Amino acid sequence: MAILKTDAITMKFGGLTAVNEFNLNVEQGEIVAVIGPNGAGKTTAFNMITGVYRPTEGHIYFDDKKITGLKPHTITKYGMARTFQNIRLFKELSVLENVVIANHLHLKTNLIQAILGNTYPDILDVLWMPKYKREEKKILEKSHMLLEKVGLIDLKDEKANSLPYGLQRKLEIARALATNPRLLLLDEPAAGMNPKETNDLTNFIRQIRDDFNLTILLIEHHMQVVMDISDRIYVLDYGINIAEGNPYEIQNNDRVIQAYLGVAEDA
Amino acid sequence: MSFELFLQYLTNGISLGSLYALIAIGYTMVYGILKLINFAHGEIFMMSLYFGFYGVSVFSMPWYISFIVAIGMTALLGMMVERAAYKPLRESPRITIMVSAIGVSFFLQNLAIVLFGGRPKAFPNVRLLTEVMQIGSVSFQRLTMIIPIVTVVLLFALLYLVNNTKTGMAMRAVSKDHETARLMGVDVNRTITITFGIGSILAAIGGIMWGAKFPQIAPFMGVMPGLKCFIAAVVGGIGNITGAIIGGFILGIGEIMLIAFLPNLTGYRDAFAFILLIAILLFRPTGIMGEKISEKV
Amino acid sequence: MKIRNTILTLVSIALLAAFIWYADSNFDSYKIRILNLCAIYTILALSMNLINGFTGLLSLGHAGFMAVGAYTTALLTMSETAKQQNFFLKPIVAPLATITLPFLPALLIGGVLSAFVAFLIGAPTLRLRGDYLAIATLGFSEIIRIVFTNTQNITNGPLGLKSIPNNTNLWWTFGLALVTLILIKSLIDSSYGKALKAIREDEVAAESMGINLFQHKLIAFIIGAFFAAIGGGLLGSLIGAINPIMFRFILTFNVLLIVVMGGMGSITGSVISAFAVTAGLEYLRVLDESINLGFVTIKGIPGLRMVVFAGLLMVVVIFFKNGLMGTKEFSWDKLINFFTSKKRFKKKEVGQ
Repeated sequence: MAILKTDAITMKFGGLTAVNEFNLNVEQGEIVAVIGPNGAGKTTAFNMITGVYRPTEGHIYFDDKKITGLKPHTITKYGMARTFQNIRLFKELSVLENVVIANHLHLKTNLIQAILGNTYPDILDVLWMPKYKREEKKILEKSHMLLEKVGLIDLKDEKANSLPYGLQRKLEIARALATNPRLLLLDEPAAGMNPKETNDLTNFIRQIRDDFNLTILLIEHHMQVVMDISDRIYVLDYGINIAEGNPYEIQNNDRVIQAYLGVAEDA
Repeated sequence: MSFELFLQYLTNGISLGSLYALIAIGYTMVYGILKLINFAHGEIFMMSLYFGFYGVSVFSMPWYISFIVAIGMTALLGMMVERAAYKPLRESPRITIMVSAIGVSFFLQNLAIVLFGGRPKAFPNVRLLTEVMQIGSVSFQRLTMIIPIVTVVLLFALLYLVNNTKTGMAMRAVSKDHETARLMGVDVNRTITITFGIGSILAAIGGIMWGAKFPQIAPFMGVMPGLKCFIAAVVGGIGNITGAIIGGFILGIGEIMLIAFLPNLTGYRDAFAFILLIAILLFRPTGIMGEKISEKV
Repeated sequence: MKIRNTILTLVSIALLAAFIWYADSNFDSYKIRILNLCAIYTILALSMNLINGFTGLLSLGHAGFMAVGAYTTALLTMSETAKQQNFFLKPIVAPLATITLPFLPALLIGGVLSAFVAFLIGAPTLRLRGDYLAIATLGFSEIIRIVFTNTQNITNGPLGLKSIPNNTNLWWTFGLALVTLILIKSLIDSSYGKALKAIREDEVAAESMGINLFQHKLIAFIIGAFFAAIGGGLLGSLIGAINPIMFRFILTFNVLLIVVMGGMGSITGSVISAFAVTAGLEYLRVLDESINLGFVTIKGIPGLRMVVFAGLLMVVVIFFKNGLMGTKEFSWDKLINFFTSKKRFKKKEVGQ
């Protein structure tokens, strides 16, 4: 079953068409990559899918449900999470807090219960625990588990922006996972990583796909990663989908080679 | 309402609108270049009136000399404020710079009380400006005609400066992107200082004409015109000089017409500007002349 | 650890109560008034910090919310005769003329009314970004003030209200300040509070993590407005007379200044700063008044106090950008660590 399907989505900024009638189809459990030269419209496509932009034309279906024009927070609630090309962590907050916050959308206690629950003195917890505190405990346990998974547990009290670049990317993924997604969108996860880190990343992505039963859609410039990891690849050039297929087909597609050589991209 | 009376109100509205427009330009230019609501602009306007007052009343200078000196001093004050209170905060979060701006405004108000006393003073009467003229059955002060003319002349001068001179080019560059402008060899700090100077000169010219029209000056008089002129700048599209002029006219004429046609609502005169502001923010947040800016994600 | 901290907190609250009990009967009225003001400004600063510091919204509407609280509390607590004396130009509207409520319900109704006003204002404006929100909230606050100036049969217009019953005392102000402190701290530490901080850090990322921006901003705005009105009601009842001029922008600015000086996003900072700034402003009052040195009298300069004060603020803003506390908070653990580690350090020195 297609978990994500776009029906000819188009995005125009003034006179510029950033993405033109893009049809995307992602099946449950797949790893699909969107590649293309800089400025090809990949991130714009991501922004449309996640609700940051409203497509000028076309529709997006998530689990056969139309999500076009919905707000990003609603779409996240449906089970889609993302990372950002230029890392957007909550910089001044701790690593743990970053992950805890991503659990907020599934919180069952309401505002009053949360405030009163927090006012309830800790020493009386042994006698009776308010609903909010029980839920918070569960969230903390889950957050610790996620941080352990991505190997950041020892750094949980550090400020997010004090982490090295590669770890910030991992934290962003952990944060996205905390929202309980079924579909994870990764925007250039290998950007700025060295060859060793890149290699680890490939394994890491496969690992989380299996552990969390995910479907993954990613944008990536690093061709080795893309060819290694993807089941299928879409190629965008100037907003137009010029090719689609498995890594082997894409590597031997004349139009793709032309598009890449034309802009001297060292991929 | 008779047609004559309507014309009377309209001329009043136009001249009030012109004054708003002159002050609004200062807001719009500073916002364009620093993305800062210069809350102290209203106080700079207020100070210009005191400078003009002291020149004539205390140092007994002829009014034209006194006013020129006042304009010069106001420009200096504007540039000093920028150097002292905004320049050290270039890299700080927006809220810090805004608090600093409010702080300057607060500081200047109280400084005015200390230096000039809290009681209102009478602005010198310049016969040449305030003489009453008669066209048909409509009578008005000469000032009412002079103000819009001065405003339009200054607008064209400013547009020429911004669009056709090197300084203007530097201003436009800095308003787009400080870093890139710096790399292109633009002296960013100097350009910002000049912008404050120009904004202050216009506020001073507006201030002196304001004083001639409403001849009472007090330390807190800059607050309300300051807020209204900022609103005028937002209504016109902040960052856009022509927009500030349009916003000023809409506000001035609208305010006078509100009193003219709905005299019951005279008490709500000051609320008109704020209601207009909120309406604009809700339906066209970028103002009449503004362009849509979307954040890159 | 947990038990120790709870005990320490309870002991501090008991000490505070003992202090109030002592101050209430032994301090002169001037000192009590200053203490009352300190506590009221604590409430105001905490409520603004929730909106501006923790959620990162540039809201400048506090004076308006305070006005709603002050007028509601005053009108609901004043006696029928007091109202008749006040409203000599235009009689007060029917139901308000006869209603007289006890202090606490009046305060709470003021708070709820202000929260409702915040809801009405927030619904359209909280979608605006940064500076635009600042100027829109400032505009709404001014509109509230102008409306109050013109609705003579409810607010008595520009004349304001006089002889408001003096219900405010140290127990009320400190008690409510403590309640505000506890509730806002609980909110900040809760999942909702973390979501607010996330919005402050990065709106786009927060929204992508499933946080409903508008809803959460509205929560902060409404709760802030509620407590601002409580502060306003206490203030009106402390001073005994209110008028629309009192609730000009400058009042918002006073509170903003306390928040900035204490540190945007620090509860501890707001509390310390509220006390320091309020008391400091009183001490600076000597600048405005004549000083009699026996042989010579130095004439005071009215307004100098505010000039010095504004100057100090500028110094803080420019040189200490994060205020007193930044986003740091007080905790018993930190305090105890501070002392014990210092001792260890000293011991080492002695040993050498």
